[in-house]
Amino acid sequence: MSKIYKKMGPHDVGGENSIPIDLNDPEMTHWEKYANALRIVVSSKRIITLDELRYHTEKLGDAYFEIGYFERNCLSLHNICLNKGIYDEELFKKVKLRKIAEFDVPKINLPDPNTIEHLHDGVPHSHEVSDFQEDETGEGPPKYYYDTLAIAEIMIDLGLITKEDIAQKIDQFDNVFPNRGKTVVAKAWSDEDFRQYLLEDAKTAISNIGIKLETFADIICMPQSSETHHIVVCTLCSCYPRTLLGMPPSWYKSRSYRSRVVHEPRKVLAEFGTIVPKNKEIKVHDSNADMRYLILPPRPSNTDGWNEEQLSEIVERDYLVGVRLPD
Amino acid sequence: MKTKFKIDDLVIVDDRLSTSHCRTPSYIRGKVGIVERICGEFPNPEEIALCNDNPSIIPLYRCRFKQADVWENYEGSDKDTLELEIYEHWLKKI
Repeated sequence: MSKIYKKMGPHDVGGENSIPIDLNDPEMTHWEKYANALRIVVSSKRIITLDELRYHTEKLGDAYFEIGYFERNCLSLHNICLNKGIYDEELFKKVKLRKIAEFDVPKINLPDPNTIEHLHDGVPHSHEVSDFQEDETGEGPPKYYYDTLAIAEIMIDLGLITKEDIAQKIDQFDNVFPNRGKTVVAKAWSDEDFRQYLLEDAKTAISNIGIKLETFADIICMPQSSETHHIVVCTLCSCYPRTLLGMPPSWYKSRSYRSRVVHEPRKVLAEFGTIVPKNKEIKVHDSNADMRYLILPPRPSNTDGWNEEQLSEIVERDYLVGVRLPD
Repeated sequence: MKTKFKIDDLVIVDDRLSTSHCRTPSYIRGKVGIVERICGEFPNPEEIALCNDNPSIIPLYRCRFKQADVWENYEGSDKDTLELEIYEHWLKKI
């Protein structure tokens, strides 16, 4: 691709050639959920803005692709806190050591299975050593989890955030946000007036059905049609309508998806099993600034008479990003 | 809101380099498209990223590009398009 010399940094991947997309989307670990919640709490309270976080992530240079997504977030958050004087290295180290110590498990002598004699339902019963051991081969929490916990604790002590803020965000990402987009689409499939409103002014339409999106960004809704196939990407980072769809899947954040969708959308869609005929327009939306996108899939034909709840159960996240269509 | 451009204006994305945080991807610089819609006014991300508490508030546009105009040897359909958001100070009239 031309003009590589203009690339702003390791994050500016749109147009690069890359490998096939890994469609696996493993469940987030607790530390990833915690790190995500902290980042969202801090930016929604405007303690640190999203653009500051992005900038410091971009500045990581080679480390950008050497560590994972949440590790990058954690490291840039830490660097900004130091820059802004929210804490200094000394305090951070002290709190981090305390956090590490909280994970220390006291060593105890395990019972010797050979000395245990008892009956189960009147029958002599023996035990293996492994019956008394837990997590013998566990690796403990990842390194960045301690950093994340330390950053959070300092911010809580300073009164900038609360424990409850983080717990609430984790809960919303688990239980609330992923369902909202499905509710909205089911409503649009059932109510033509709402559908029209959604396409004209999505954020207000969504707010009018009682869903208040905790976001500064605006929402644009694009309907899939027989003439046009819409697909969304964020080539610069991972912009995604989180308060409407929950966390983006791993592949949405991957270098291969972000670099390839803009210049070979048909090949990328084929990897998701979506074949778009050549005479149909593909419209790629690079979600690169202050808008977030919701793709409205067509209502499947075999759903006549279904109510909104039934419809919402067949709405899949992939439809709402535009990588797949309902059968 | 005072905007330099209106819907359907032919525009070119400035081809300059940027040295700091910026939301104009390099692949779209120097490309010609049209204004698809005016999104409103937003704080300039290039300033917020540097901890500026009073950033300029500037118009943001969604611009539409023909894929064939963006990529050499684009393999898809001539109809294919790409849309993205460009702040006013990155756009010029043709």
